[in-house]
Amino acid sequence: MDRKKFLKVLSAGCLAVGLPGCGGSSGGGKAVQAMPKTQRSKVRLEGARMAVVTGGEPEALTRRAIDELGGMGLFVSRGDKVLIKPNIGWDRVPAQAATTNPEVVATLVVMCQEAGAAEVLVIDNTISDARRCYTRSGIKAAVEAVGAQIPYLEDYNFSKVNIGGELIKEWPVYREALEVDKIINVPIAKVHSLSRLTIGMKNFYGLLGGRRNQLHQDVHLSIAEMTAFFAPTLTVVDAVRILTGNGPSGGSLSDVKKLDTVIATTDPVAADARAAQFFGIDPQEVRYLTLGSEMGIGTLDFSSLGVKEVTL
Amino acid sequence: MRTARRISQSLFFILFLFLLVMTEYKGTDEIKYPVEIFFYFDPLVAVSAFLAAHRVPKELLWSLVVVGLSVLSGRFFCSWVCPMGTLNHVLSHSRGKAAEQIKGNRYDTRQSWKYVMVVFFLLLSVLGLQLVGFLDPFSVLIRSFALAVNPVLNWLVRALFYPLLGLGWPWLTAVIEPVFSFLRQAVLSFEQPYFYQGLFIGSIFLAIVLLNRFRRRFWCRFLCPLGALLGLLSRFSLLRLVVDKETCTGCLSCIKNCEGACEPQSTESWIRSECLPCWNCVESCPHGSIKIKLALPGLTDRSVDLGRRHVISSVGAAIGAVALLRIDPRKVAPSLVSGEMRGSKKFNPLLIRPPGALAEKEFLERCVKCGECMKVCIKNAIHPALMEAGLEGFWTPYLKMQLGYCEYNCTLCGQVCPTGALEKLTLEKKHETKIGLAFFDKNRCIPYALGRNCIVCEEVCPTPKKAIWFEEKEVTDPQGNLVLVKQPRIDPYLCIGCGMCEYVCPLVDKPGVYCTSIGESRSPDNQLLLDIYGGGAT
Repeated sequence: MDRKKFLKVLSAGCLAVGLPGCGGSSGGGKAVQAMPKTQRSKVRLEGARMAVVTGGEPEALTRRAIDELGGMGLFVSRGDKVLIKPNIGWDRVPAQAATTNPEVVATLVVMCQEAGAAEVLVIDNTISDARRCYTRSGIKAAVEAVGAQIPYLEDYNFSKVNIGGELIKEWPVYREALEVDKIINVPIAKVHSLSRLTIGMKNFYGLLGGRRNQLHQDVHLSIAEMTAFFAPTLTVVDAVRILTGNGPSGGSLSDVKKLDTVIATTDPVAADARAAQFFGIDPQEVRYLTLGSEMGIGTLDFSSLGVKEVTL
Repeated sequence: MRTARRISQSLFFILFLFLLVMTEYKGTDEIKYPVEIFFYFDPLVAVSAFLAAHRVPKELLWSLVVVGLSVLSGRFFCSWVCPMGTLNHVLSHSRGKAAEQIKGNRYDTRQSWKYVMVVFFLLLSVLGLQLVGFLDPFSVLIRSFALAVNPVLNWLVRALFYPLLGLGWPWLTAVIEPVFSFLRQAVLSFEQPYFYQGLFIGSIFLAIVLLNRFRRRFWCRFLCPLGALLGLLSRFSLLRLVVDKETCTGCLSCIKNCEGACEPQSTESWIRSECLPCWNCVESCPHGSIKIKLALPGLTDRSVDLGRRHVISSVGAAIGAVALLRIDPRKVAPSLVSGEMRGSKKFNPLLIRPPGALAEKEFLERCVKCGECMKVCIKNAIHPALMEAGLEGFWTPYLKMQLGYCEYNCTLCGQVCPTGALEKLTLEKKHETKIGLAFFDKNRCIPYALGRNCIVCEEVCPTPKKAIWFEEKEVTDPQGNLVLVKQPRIDPYLCIGCGMCEYVCPLVDKPGVYCTSIGESRSPDNQLLLDIYGGGAT
């Protein structure tokens, strides 16, 4: 056998044996134990636990809301790696209120950087085409302009982990979400025909991979369990515009209501409960909220948090 | 001249690859480059589309430039421009002894196949059957690259990088992640593309490439209908090969290096329609005996070898082929006569054409099955048809919603179609273009069949007022309990058939909601609601 022939046989053999084993090995395998909430350091609060700021530009609203809680320095420590999770799920422009306001997201990025964050990462596992969502929501441009990363998700980014829920035992989760020091959830407030509302707690679907479409079969419990799992350091609800109909994808300006409001809080349940008021919905009627309250993730009675209501 | 030719070939081949890579969403709603530009210079597509549809998009008139230049200078296009020619050129090995090489490069009478082929295809076009896309070199090349070569390349790169990145070792990721990101940005498709028939189309391409082992540039010499058309035009070319008998020693090194098998060893034997003016003979002649000169064509020059018998038999074959395809019971086979005599009322529910597709008859008269729309489709929803559109519509584009869906704000497919088979739609027009209609399979849909909430379809429905809504109903679940569930319904006035519902349905093997072609805006006949289409179907 001459050299040429040997190489041919060798390479063909490698192709035949090696490649089928290579494809899509990620995502499978054994679930690893991951407990992000216990790894993250506790936040010591000095100011209020919830701030509702209204009447101003998105940047000013966001800054003031965080400042009312005592400043970003309370939540983000020097050297932290921070994950900011907006809702970028749809191929819509900001005026259509289906995705988080890009200025709110960019302001949070800057504030994290000011607080000394080593790395700020912005991501969402979108529903429409990721490129179109990132681009048309304006979030990609806004985030890149202030020097944070907003990568597209790939299959290999997900690891199947132990969620520890009653319903959801294990699920593929965006790996960085398990490794970052802090998670800041920055949803937009919208209606949803199955869960009634999609604000902060449901936004965590966007850190999941796998067959997300199955979660609808018990949407409330899955939302509560995901929130318990991800345990956000901070929830910042973008209510600059809210979507009151045809949610969560929207598309019609007649479904959009401009409120010029931002809510910031450490309590993920209270965030959604407060934002439910915008839609005239009693939080007690929203099952994922009562479930969250029962599970001890947060409280429905947001007034007990000492809410700072500010009008600019 | 040979160096100039090589530079020209390289540049055009790089241009081809570049435009292929750019045939993708790159962050703007409009494709920035004229990615379909090679077709604009393809007289074969222009002529056959004109013969079949009696009109051509004005961009195809650029092909007149090629016609003009070919009349003046022969098949220069084949050896200086055509990327398919370049590919075959590069992949044609010179192997064996000199004598064998010379033998393989002698003119072969079977080279007249391609003329029979082009006559056959153009006759079909006259009869309203546009099949030139099966063998048009750009259609073959782009279809093969888009549907087979590019997916294979993507798969190989991902198969290499994914497992390594999946390990999650920080130092390894830090090294290879930037490489992968760069490749993904610059060369690869955004997501791994998959195509029905990718294997089949790739195999055909491989066969075309492997034929070069039998004869140098087999495709160009024996098969290419565009080469044949240009060969016919070269009859009066002003380029003329002249051999100086005084200095020629008959060493035949000209034949040994000949690309087109055009018998360049003497002025009399030279066949102008086979010559791909590659200048190999001129440059390889040890005595400088061969010249390519500007001169009036000689009456005695050898040219196209196209027997009368062949022409007559291709007329017969064309008529027979048209008739055979026209007796297909499906409505999709258009009739020669007019809209009134279309035969059967049978439509294929699976044949969902991309948005902007012309009515089926007009569509088939234009589509050259090039695969540009399939390459550019942002959700990989457009696939080549097998028999969904009849034999005539083999490899024409249709949407397969389980693999992708039509993205609401995307208009890319119409932008890259070279022949106007898909119209370029404004976003406004796209939003109101129905490509089909969705239906629920109540025996499978979870809220109907299992008494459990789901409505993922309603959540994702992209029309501003959702075409899917739901009724709250008290039903008995499979265990006999009374439960309250949200059962989805479809509003056919709002539904545009984009298939996003079908794509996201949790019933992944056979979705509980699915789209069919009925109600498509392009067809006056494939309709169901009188108050939407206003009647008038034949």
